[in-house]
Amino acid sequence: MKPLTTEEIRAVIAKGKFYDNLFKAVGVFCLAFALLVIVALIADMVIKGSERFTLDFFFNFASRRATEAGILSAWVGSLLVMLVTAMAAVPLGVAAGLYLEEYAKRNLLTNIIEVNITNLAAVPSIVYGLLALGIFVYQFGFGQSILSAGLTLALLILPIIIVSTREAIRAIPAMIREGSMAVGATRWQTCRFHIIPYAMPGILTGVIIGLARAIGETAPIITIGALTFIAFLPPVPFSAADAGTTAGLFDWLLSPFTVMPIQIFNWTSRPDPAFEVNAAAAGFVLMVMVLSMNAVAIYLRYQMRKKIKW
Amino acid sequence: MSENNHLSSQFDDDLSRLRSHVLQMGGLVETQISAAIEAYSRGEVASVKHIVETDRKVNDLEVAIDDDCAHIIAKRQPAASDLRMVFGISKIVTDLERAGDEAKKIAKGVRRIYEAGQMPSQYGIGVRHIAEAALAMLRQSLDAFARLDSPLAIKVIQADVDVDVEFKSIMRQLITHMMEDPRTITTSIDIIWIARAVERIGDHAKNISEHVVFIVDGRDIRHQPKENKA
Amino acid sequence: MESPMQIQETPTLKAEARNLNFFYGENKALRNINMPIYDKKVTALIGPSGCGKSTYLRSFNRMHDLYPGNRYEGEIRFFPDNTNLLGADVDPIEVRMRIGMVFQKPNPFPKTIFENVAYGLRVRGETNKRVLEDKVEHALKGAAIWEEVKDRLPEQAPNLSGGQQQRLCIARALATDPELLLFDEPTSALDPIATGAIEELIHELKKRVTILIVTHNMQQAARVSDYTAYMYLGEMIEFGKTDEIFIKPQDKRTEDYITGRMG
Repeated sequence: MKPLTTEEIRAVIAKGKFYDNLFKAVGVFCLAFALLVIVALIADMVIKGSERFTLDFFFNFASRRATEAGILSAWVGSLLVMLVTAMAAVPLGVAAGLYLEEYAKRNLLTNIIEVNITNLAAVPSIVYGLLALGIFVYQFGFGQSILSAGLTLALLILPIIIVSTREAIRAIPAMIREGSMAVGATRWQTCRFHIIPYAMPGILTGVIIGLARAIGETAPIITIGALTFIAFLPPVPFSAADAGTTAGLFDWLLSPFTVMPIQIFNWTSRPDPAFEVNAAAAGFVLMVMVLSMNAVAIYLRYQMRKKIKW
Repeated sequence: MSENNHLSSQFDDDLSRLRSHVLQMGGLVETQISAAIEAYSRGEVASVKHIVETDRKVNDLEVAIDDDCAHIIAKRQPAASDLRMVFGISKIVTDLERAGDEAKKIAKGVRRIYEAGQMPSQYGIGVRHIAEAALAMLRQSLDAFARLDSPLAIKVIQADVDVDVEFKSIMRQLITHMMEDPRTITTSIDIIWIARAVERIGDHAKNISEHVVFIVDGRDIRHQPKENKA
Repeated sequence: MESPMQIQETPTLKAEARNLNFFYGENKALRNINMPIYDKKVTALIGPSGCGKSTYLRSFNRMHDLYPGNRYEGEIRFFPDNTNLLGADVDPIEVRMRIGMVFQKPNPFPKTIFENVAYGLRVRGETNKRVLEDKVEHALKGAAIWEEVKDRLPEQAPNLSGGQQQRLCIARALATDPELLLFDEPTSALDPIATGAIEELIHELKKRVTILIVTHNMQQAARVSDYTAYMYLGEMIEFGKTDEIFIKPQDKRTEDYITGRMG
């Protein structure tokens, strides 16, 4: 074959570059479209809800009058439910992921379990709600409480945490594990000193992504029967309760509650259009909560990854 | 020695060129020695100059081969049979070069004898005989190297004993001769020098054969009692 | 061929493979290996890729037990107590506590330099700070890296250069006073200077510990080892003194490999 002349080489490159640029243009367009939708959504909420962004809005209970209604019980409820969810889902998910990656033998049973964990992540959240209604609310008698809601959402995000734990563990090079075992460490010592600490950034990311999903869930919470109109906060531990008794450390767990998405849902379903303003403002607050959780996840992951190199 | 080729064909080429240079050098030394023997028995003083000139070529080849050996060691880090080959060649060329020097000494001795107008005495005939034996040894040692034939090399080593015995008998004859007729002392001493050079050629042939045994079998049989050499 | 360079005394046995076979699932990776490992000597394993030399090395500290489907047959006797390292009654962790290992690629933990070396001691339950500090210093000195890191012990180990990381890994293995040290191509990821430092270190270490080293670099085997074994297709083709293997191997396959006539 005759070598190409400089002109011919340039022609070939130019032709190739045309498709480069074409794809670049298409890509930018798609990205811009997606971003525009999000920005429009947020802008819409901000504009609609702007008149409600006052301190009162954050520290008022629900009310029949739209201008006096606030989200105090909703955001406190959301935070408490998230706390329960995290306390339940993180140890369970991490332990399950660790067991599957580091201890379980590869056989038919573990393969079936693996497939089903992936399937669990795809189960519609309302089904979790039905399950929880039967088990937590009635069987265990937790009632329509923070505990029930937290455990329900914990079940919902458990697959996410298990999967992200396993991914994070798999990202650890085999030579680190071998290096630890080679000095005579047991599997548990290897997990405690190496696998868990090095997988932590990945696990944390999974946890926060899971919580961010859970905080926006409405269906399962409604299913187990969260109240939509709550004008009190769960009892603070050791505070004075009615009839001269003192609230126990864990009394708040069994308290009725509401959460942000339910509050929003409730407001949008009211005939009075003034409540739509409340809904938009609350929607924006929820959005900020989710986004800031993601931001924290990204920041923590970055900070922790900086220290872990191999 | 393996009949397989190296992964690097250039290494094969380098080694085979090295070996053919050694054989070429051996050929030159052989002609030097046989020319010196001819000059001795026929009194051809004219060929002496040619023998001395050939020695320069032999020296150049020695330097060139040693240089090639050094290059192969530096570039290829030869091991096992390759290492023994390069190492053995480097020693063989030293012995070949010295054998060439001995041929030059013979030629110069011949020139002294004939320029003084002295014909070699009848006792000098024996010198021609061991010279041919030594030349045959050298030839066989080079054959053994070319064919990597260690049994042949061992035969050469054993043949050196005969040359040594014959050299001693020539010495005794010449000493007797000098005592009988002191006028022949000058010539006889020259003949002794020549016989001595011939005997040394036999020694170098033996050394070369020992190097061949090392190259082929990996055994170093120098300075060992004879029974170990077979 | 006797020369003063050669090992004259009869060395004592530190370990011995007897009729060792190894299977990755159905795949037989080691075939009937019999080989001595001599005490306080360096034994090199050479051979083309896939010949089983790393597999053999990793049998000594039961690394294969970490993965499912692996199976040993035969035994590796470990002296002086004549334990069968592969015995069903012997815990692989016990084996790894006696036999250290240095890997192909330096694998320091993403922890501080100090913690890397102290790890083996912590695993053994050592918590006394003085003891830890003493042993870490001793191990780092043994691995010829103390001078370079003595002021940087709280720094992250992965910030060290490749050669330093590998010496740190050697220190990590040394900290627990192993009886046998396994090296799996320890310099394949290092430059010639760092390689030279590791080779010098191996030469020093053999005064204290028995060494088994896998290497792709034949010159390295020739430089560092007292004994060399040539493996091919899972078999031990030839075992002998390094001087003899590299000058006059007995088997033609060894000869062809050593002189670059393979393939």
